[in-house]
Amino acid sequence: MSEISLKNVSKSYGAVTVIDNLSLDINDGELMVFLGPSGSGKSTLLRMIAGLETIDAGSLFIGGKPCHDLAPGQRDVAMVFQNYALYPHMTVRENMEFGLKNIKLSHQEIDERVTNAARILEMDKLLDRRPSQLSGGQRQRVAIGRAIVKKPAAFLFDEPLSNLDAALRVRTRVELSQLHQTVKSTMIYVTHDQTEAMTLGERIVILNECKIEQIGTPMEIYTSPRTLFVAGFIGSPSMNIFSVDLTQANDTLQATLPDGTQIAIDMDVPAGARYDLGIRPESVLISPTAADCTGVVKVVERLGDRTLVYVELKDGSQLIAQDAGSSTVVVGDTVHLALDKTKIHLFDQNGINVLHR
Amino acid sequence: MNAQNVGKINFVGALITLATIFAAILWAFPIYWGIISSLKPEDEVVRPYIELWPDTLTFQHYWFALTQTQIGRWYINSIGTAVGVTFLTVTTSMFAGYAISQLNFPFRRTLYWIILASFMVPTQVLIINHFVLIANLGLLNTWAGIILPQLIHPVIIIIYKQFFDQVPKDFREAAVMDNAGEFRILFKVYMPLNWGVTTAVSIVTFIWSWNAFLWPFLAVTKTELMTITVGITQVNDAFGVYYARQLSAAVLAGFPVALAYLLFQRKVTEAITLSAGIKG
Amino acid sequence: MLRNHKSETIVAMILIAPFIAIYGLIFIYPTVDMFLLSFQKAPLIGDGTWVGVDNYTRLASDRRFDTAFWNTAYFVALSVVPGTFVALFISLGISRLSGRIQALVLALFFLPYILPVSVVYRIWDWTLNFQFGIAMHVFDWLGFDRIPIFKITGWFMPAVAFVTIWWTAGFSILLFLAGLRAIPVEIYEASSLDNASRWQTFRKITWPLLWPVTALVLTIQLISQLKIFDQVYLFSTGGRPNDNLVMVYYIFQRAFVNNHGGRAAAIAVVLFIIVIVVSVLNFQLMRFAGKKQ
Repeated sequence: MSEISLKNVSKSYGAVTVIDNLSLDINDGELMVFLGPSGSGKSTLLRMIAGLETIDAGSLFIGGKPCHDLAPGQRDVAMVFQNYALYPHMTVRENMEFGLKNIKLSHQEIDERVTNAARILEMDKLLDRRPSQLSGGQRQRVAIGRAIVKKPAAFLFDEPLSNLDAALRVRTRVELSQLHQTVKSTMIYVTHDQTEAMTLGERIVILNECKIEQIGTPMEIYTSPRTLFVAGFIGSPSMNIFSVDLTQANDTLQATLPDGTQIAIDMDVPAGARYDLGIRPESVLISPTAADCTGVVKVVERLGDRTLVYVELKDGSQLIAQDAGSSTVVVGDTVHLALDKTKIHLFDQNGINVLHR
Repeated sequence: MNAQNVGKINFVGALITLATIFAAILWAFPIYWGIISSLKPEDEVVRPYIELWPDTLTFQHYWFALTQTQIGRWYINSIGTAVGVTFLTVTTSMFAGYAISQLNFPFRRTLYWIILASFMVPTQVLIINHFVLIANLGLLNTWAGIILPQLIHPVIIIIYKQFFDQVPKDFREAAVMDNAGEFRILFKVYMPLNWGVTTAVSIVTFIWSWNAFLWPFLAVTKTELMTITVGITQVNDAFGVYYARQLSAAVLAGFPVALAYLLFQRKVTEAITLSAGIKG
Repeated sequence: MLRNHKSETIVAMILIAPFIAIYGLIFIYPTVDMFLLSFQKAPLIGDGTWVGVDNYTRLASDRRFDTAFWNTAYFVALSVVPGTFVALFISLGISRLSGRIQALVLALFFLPYILPVSVVYRIWDWTLNFQFGIAMHVFDWLGFDRIPIFKITGWFMPAVAFVTIWWTAGFSILLFLAGLRAIPVEIYEASSLDNASRWQTFRKITWPLLWPVTALVLTIQLISQLKIFDQVYLFSTGGRPNDNLVMVYYIFQRAFVNNHGGRAAAIAVVLFIIVIVVSVLNFQLMRFAGKKQ
């Protein structure tokens, strides 16, 4: 069993508490993504699990074993570094063997594991080369290979794709997904890229300023963001957010957009307060018969499969709408917009989604 | 200065270049002259006019020096003590430099400052007490006695510390994740990554030790234990007032280090620039 | 990083132990011993009696100390600044060259530095030999009488300074070349577009940008030459050592020739203090001069 559990962990640098009382459970065999902007603490958290950063309070369990006081090499985890950290003076084979020799495995066992890993990663021909003779993608494989041969309870990936060019990134992403299915180990993957997170993660932990914003599957996070931060962070282009007043008119709850448009809200929330209303561009439809609001088109971005239309409402605020790829909208057009009422999110003054309270 | 006057006929520039080349030849001339004189028979050497090339080219003085004097023993003494100084200095400095750079231990900062402070102490003032110490240890006229006081080389520790500091933290972290103990990290990762430094520092220390005069001069009174640098100035009776002979001995003494320089020019230059940078 | 403090300290102790042992034995201990010895009346080896600052006060009226002190100062004046400028101008010349020629020229200038002092001694003793030295021909051509250079007091120090400059310039040249290489070519290109003459370029651009290296070279040379012994000792053989004394030579003489360990130690301490004071003053001076640039 290789489930990972952080219970009430804290970390401080001197007098500054960076991570405060954080708890997190990762299931056995799961590919969990730590997602967040830089400085969000995702790498720190990963390194705390690895043992490269201290856990000042709280506990860490890997496979049921308490690991918070163990040395990094003894936690049964393997790390794939962002810059690979391949020993430049050793061949690929020696790089992979180094850790195994340190724990005194037999030659036979070491050979077997190296050959196996090389086969999985299709690196058989590279074993006697030095890192300087390899391409970026090949080096990354060696870094992964070095982790595989340890047969760890969990793999820790620290932004592994950030040093690759765009095309290679997409290919490698797919390969990593396949790797997870082959090796079937618990994997923690740190990234700032939401596409990687959404495509790879079975569950995603979104971190911001060292606090957990939400934990959920990609779809959960996309369709039901728990906080304003998550709503704005996930999705490209980001969700439209408006500050609205909620008023009660007869039996219906109404939200008033900055330009005056009234939207009926079908949620059980107290009126007479300010909220943040969020709606994704793909839920804002352009149609001549639409009746929610009108505006003037300022920018049109044609992406081929869809068209993003940046509309300026009556009061000057901006609403991003999404139209078909074949849209005929042009800059300067006056358009009518309809908002899909089922896809509206409301966030209270603390930035929490009212449906998550 | 190289970028100036592209394309123009540069009279002054050409003059400077020629002057530099001429100055270089003039500068090295005494060395040439010493070597050439050692290849002449004694009677030619003392001729009143200048002969830039020997009338009779002869190796007799070298033959004499190598067979009739203790130069062979002196070579062995020089090599032995220089290797000893180099090995001990480089290894102890590397270990200490690694510890200061990578490990946390009590009084680490204090140690570092003591090493820096020791730069200020001119080792020449310690000759008296070195002599007393070595004499009291019964090590006068031994290789150990020659080697020990020459092991003061704080600059090498600082060089290693700086280079070890510059090794990216990633490697250490990867090695720690690989279950490597501290010694393995030093020998299998940090040391191999800095072979260039080790080579440069070793060559320079070897040359420096070979060339040392004051201490080996004080530490040895028996001629068979002298290093060659000291020997050629001390033993005049074997040579008498034979200029060419003396010069041949000098050439034999200087030849190995000159060769080391010519073979390892870049390393030597690198090491010297490094240690000067640190002293500054 | 999660570290095991205890085991880390143990490993560190093992690693620094050899260094500490050696350092303690041949550096800390002798330095302390030197101070202690300077307060005693003692032979070179053996016990002595405590005499307080006697050895120091004697120096005030010690003629040989006076000679050594002023000779050292004289030697420093003759070799440090001229040597630095010789090296500077040579490196300006070398930096104009490139490729094989540059490597060859640099090797020629640097080679003396690699040689042991005794070899340098032999070479120049021969070149300046009164009877047969080739340099004597230079005197002939210039119409002077030949001079036994190392035997005449007035000529001794300048000659030794000359040889020392010849010997050590290579080191300074290396540093200057590194400094010159660090100046971007674009700056010179800009100045030539500004129609700067060769001298102006040197004064306004090269010299200020090179100042940190120049200061470094001056400092290293200064500290080195204060400690001079080898050349002076060797070139004095057969001559008049007492006239040619420098500080370290005097220490050597008192200790190893006169067997006055305590008095020699006192001189050593004085030299030690001089070196430290000069280092500090020099540092301040260089910083001040650097600010003026």
